[in-house]
Amino acid sequence: MVKFLTLLTLFFLHLSAQSDFDKNCMSCHGDDFKFYIIMKKYTLKYSSATSIKKAMFAYLKNPTLEASILPPEYKTKFGIKEKSDLNDETLKQMIDIYYDKYNLASKLK
Amino acid sequence: MYSGEKKTIFYVLVLYLSSTVLLITTLFSGYYLYEKERLWQEERELLSRYASELEVALSKLHESNEDTLVYPRNTAFRSAIYDSDKKLIFSTIESLIDIQGADFFTKNKNTYLITPLSPHYLGAAFLVIQTESKPLGILRDILYIALFIIAVVIITSYFLVNIILRPLRENIKMLDNFIKDTTHELNTPITAILANIETIDADGCDPKTLKKLKRIDIASKSISNLYQDLAYLLLNHQTSTQNQELNLSEIARERVNYFLDMAQIKRLRFALEIQEGVRFFADKNKIERLLDNILSNAIKYAKRDTTIQLFLDEHSLIIEDEGKGMSKEELERVFVRYSRFDKSQGGFGIGYNIVKSIVDEYGISIAINSQIDIGTKVELRW
Repeated sequence: MVKFLTLLTLFFLHLSAQSDFDKNCMSCHGDDFKFYIIMKKYTLKYSSATSIKKAMFAYLKNPTLEASILPPEYKTKFGIKEKSDLNDETLKQMIDIYYDKYNLASKLK
Repeated sequence: MYSGEKKTIFYVLVLYLSSTVLLITTLFSGYYLYEKERLWQEERELLSRYASELEVALSKLHESNEDTLVYPRNTAFRSAIYDSDKKLIFSTIESLIDIQGADFFTKNKNTYLITPLSPHYLGAAFLVIQTESKPLGILRDILYIALFIIAVVIITSYFLVNIILRPLRENIKMLDNFIKDTTHELNTPITAILANIETIDADGCDPKTLKKLKRIDIASKSISNLYQDLAYLLLNHQTSTQNQELNLSEIARERVNYFLDMAQIKRLRFALEIQEGVRFFADKNKIERLLDNILSNAIKYAKRDTTIQLFLDEHSLIIEDEGKGMSKEELERVFVRYSRFDKSQGGFGIGYNIVKSIVDEYGISIAINSQIDIGTKVELRW
């Protein structure tokens, strides 16, 4: 029973997190077909999951031109992103979901 | 083959062989290490080439927009990729590799190359390439060649030693023949001198002439003794042994009497403790040689005015002098032919060599105890 309740809680938490991800990230990037390219860029530069997540968090909290991994023409065209107004915990949760959805290692067969 | 020739051949062979083996070992080890290093470099270059191929394949895969990315596989090698935290991303290698940075090593018959990768295609910070190690396969050939060379060296060195020793052998043979001829020539005059001295009427001589005759008698006996020894050594194999039941007690007394005059010159006394009727089955001439040599040595090296003791019973003969004695080193070489420790005394250094050959022939054990400046004790037991 306890196990069932735990699994049920986790499921609802996941649904809630997923809905937060849709609200906080996909609302803007949803129709961006190149959303996964950002993951490629981060992977190419930072390699491990820990380093990628750490770099993403640092950039989203304090976006600068130097820290951006986008190519120069993108920076010129779109500028840098606005600073995230999400609290640290939520932002980390969103980054985790983004990594789980788009990381390259999980696609390897 | 003369005495010591075997030893010379052995030493030369050992010296020649050991230096050759050392040289062969050095050369072949050098060659083996060189070949090993060459193979090592070849494998390293091959694995580096595979790593470059994999890097290109990974870069292409990184740019792919497919939902599933098929990891590049190659029949020639197996590979794995690790992230910057040294965590495995993907692998076709069965075992996990401990990443310590760039490395090239062999483990369980496999060769590994670990190379860092940047940019990190698919997140790979390290590429690991694995192939089966190539066996060097020259060790057996080297061993066969080395054994063949050593065999050739053994054969050639044996012939070489024989060629080197040939002049030495000829010289020794010439010397042996010379001594043999001289010995033959000595026999008649010595016998004549001794026979004539014995027939001289001592009563008819004045004391001065008598003294001179005694000296001639002693000198003749010394030469006769030397002749007997040389004859024994050189003609031993040509004379037949006539073993018979001997009265050893009688012979011992007879030989002491024979040397009495010689002993008197040094004012030596004989203390005899001879059991009567001791029998021994042997050749008389050989037993006389045995006793004469021990007694003449005792007389030769005894200090003036001392006593030579002779003890004889059923199973032992002991002759002890109070002489200059021998050192430990001299004792070790006492039975070696031509070993002379005191050049001031006459002789060829063959006395104890003869003694040893006779005691060995009759199964008699010999023990010589000697102390410098105290004396020498020769014990024969049977």
